[in-house]
Amino acid sequence: MESSIAEQQRILASDWGGGKSPFGTSWSKFMMWIFIISDALTFAAFLITYGFMRSISPQWPKQTEVFNMVLITFMTFMLISSSAVMAMAVAAARAANPKLAVRFLFLTILGGLIFLGSQAYEWTNLIEEGARLTRNPWGVPQFSAAFFVITGFHGFHVFTGVTILAIVALRAAMGKYSADGVENAGLYWHFVDVVWVFVFAFFYLL
Amino acid sequence: MADEHDQHSITYKTYLMTWFWLLVLTALALGVGYTNINEKLKAFLLVCTTLAKILVIAAIFMHLRYERINLILITFTPLVLAVILFSFTFPETLGNATHLIRVR
Repeated sequence: MESSIAEQQRILASDWGGGKSPFGTSWSKFMMWIFIISDALTFAAFLITYGFMRSISPQWPKQTEVFNMVLITFMTFMLISSSAVMAMAVAAARAANPKLAVRFLFLTILGGLIFLGSQAYEWTNLIEEGARLTRNPWGVPQFSAAFFVITGFHGFHVFTGVTILAIVALRAAMGKYSADGVENAGLYWHFVDVVWVFVFAFFYLL
Repeated sequence: MADEHDQHSITYKTYLMTWFWLLVLTALALGVGYTNINEKLKAFLLVCTTLAKILVIAAIFMHLRYERINLILITFTPLVLAVILFSFTFPETLGNATHLIRVR
């Protein structure tokens, strides 16, 4: 009898055993991961559609002639840096240091806002040059459609991330923070960074 | 739960080093983007730098290294599903769908 209980506990504690917390995380972190997976598939669909349109198109505009690549590189730098600072904010929150966490969160939000500002500037320039969702001066209409949909969706995610981080930072400043809450917001922020890594490589560089 | 979290208190130095390597990888991707090589080789090299970057971000920034194997595996399902979606759509690009795009 004794050994069968021990056996049962061993099974429940194993990775695939079920048990009380089969994934070894809080429910909120697990839900954040599930959300990130579904959101990643949305972006995968966008990028694959873009790849499809691009490879059936007889021509495609040269990105270096359309985009300001210095600005794009700067935006990438801002997002990667804010991601690194966000990781430090999570570490500070885990170490029960809300003051430091708020400071790091503030820097993360600043990085996100600079990114959004640069993107607004980029969009304004392209729209002034005549780019619309259905037409543009560079030949293939699908080029600007893919551009506005993909960077627009990503920019909306950055905006959402900045909002969530602002709420988390405000709550942390009021002392109402939990390390799990900061970590979940951080997971989302890193995901936004991951999406940009894809967009940067396949939309701007390829 | 609490002691599990204490295990992965990564130092700030680790994050700084990760940040540095991510910038190196970004510079590499930029270099690949600007060289005049075969489109297919370029796409392959960009896939490599991108995969390296997302693995670094997921493993260290998103703490995936310290999670249980079942959580790690489910986070990589979208990549597998995306590859399946990709292989369903791309045979079409070998000449069947060119009429969909009108160049002005």
